[in-house]
Amino acid sequence: MGYLRPDGQIGIRNKVSIIYTTDCSRVVAQKLQTLFPVGTQVFGYPGGCALREGPFHKIVALGTHSSSAAALVVGLGCEGTDAYMVADEINKSGRSVEAIKINEQGGDLGTIEKGSRILVKLIQHASTAERAKMTPADLIVGQECGGSDATSGLASNPITGVAADLLIEAGGTYMHAEAVELLGCADILAKRAVNEQVAREVKELIEEAERRCFERGRFSWGYGNIMGGLTSIEEKSYGCLSKSGTRPLQGVLRRYALPPGKGYYLQVGEPESGFFHGDPEGINQFAAHCAHIGLFTTGCGATTGGLIPVIKIIANPRRMQLIADHADFDATPVIRGEKTIQEMGEELYAEILAVAAGKLTKSEIFGHYEA
Amino acid sequence: MKKKAILLNVKDNVATALADLEKGESVNVSLDSISVDAVLREDIEFGHKYALRDIAKGEEILKYSLPIGKALADIRAGEWVHVHNCRSERFGFHRQKYGLNA
Repeated sequence: MGYLRPDGQIGIRNKVSIIYTTDCSRVVAQKLQTLFPVGTQVFGYPGGCALREGPFHKIVALGTHSSSAAALVVGLGCEGTDAYMVADEINKSGRSVEAIKINEQGGDLGTIEKGSRILVKLIQHASTAERAKMTPADLIVGQECGGSDATSGLASNPITGVAADLLIEAGGTYMHAEAVELLGCADILAKRAVNEQVAREVKELIEEAERRCFERGRFSWGYGNIMGGLTSIEEKSYGCLSKSGTRPLQGVLRRYALPPGKGYYLQVGEPESGFFHGDPEGINQFAAHCAHIGLFTTGCGATTGGLIPVIKIIANPRRMQLIADHADFDATPVIRGEKTIQEMGEELYAEILAVAAGKLTKSEIFGHYEA
Repeated sequence: MKKKAILLNVKDNVATALADLEKGESVNVSLDSISVDAVLREDIEFGHKYALRDIAKGEEILKYSLPIGKALADIRAGEWVHVHNCRSERFGFHRQKYGLNA
């Protein structure tokens, strides 16, 4: 059973979002979350002094995420990313949202007092959210890989590819990103595209990434990869692409919004960052595209999460021992030659459904809501 | 039975070692209805590839059913496949750059 939102989305978690619109209001927002830790989440735009379309849309998208029941927007008052503007946008989704400004409340203390009373109201309101039945067709999942090693291309990514296919066959939606890790995959992805336009878009995207790498003379490739057994950049890229399964490519996602339909999509990161980002950021970008759950495959092991539940998948047996507390899915049986990719892919799909139904991931239990 | 190597796609002509394997070892990989036996002609380290069958010079090396490069020389079944005998035309940087003698 999920949580039904006024805009028709169904969420797998139920949180009141405390959103800061600038670095100056971040402290107040975080203090408010500490005062009311249950059923709340805090995120925002520290650079909000200036009003930038991308980040503005991102915090609105996160505020109207299916797991966000309501929102309190906290601003200083002089920043370009105006708290009332953000609140108005979120309000269009039918959600309860309020905004307060520090310079109207007489400083941090006044804001904390007023904000606290608003949160009490919103948290209670969120707890009465209508419930709705959810099927896999309602689910949106994003996959990110970080700290990759040999096991990523041999096990973790192919396993997520199998799970992706199962999710899509059941009517769900799946996305991944990082065009710079897909060098050499332009043609193969274009072949999977549902129409000419998508084929053109994905080709242009990957060719642009390749051009940039050739220009800089820098590729995501080095001696370590070769020593580890990778013979060419293509081999590395195909190992990365194996996370995408085999289903048709529906489109390339750019603007933060619900994907236009179900199925498999490639997501493009933010142009400002040169299409490169850290892993929690990658997860949160998926969240801004309405992903319910993030899959994070890692060879080196990582402890991070994101705003949405993150299922961490590790296939390296040595790393698994070191970081077992933070792992959600043990993919080492494939590397130990004990299970097949297909078998483990089916197990991962079952885990995705369990998390959607309420099972908490390690990132949630440890409080790793990096945002 | 524990597998010592993995076959990622039925179209592949290489398999990847899941442990450090030794010259002379007999290795079987299987996927769906395909099962391939090979006797290793060289030591194959974890994460490295060996040929599942004889591959001719100029032939494509396939992994995940896709070409990762072309054979620089004839390769026999069970031989190590890596930068010394396989190179991509698009992204194949010369092996000397990496100081590898092969």
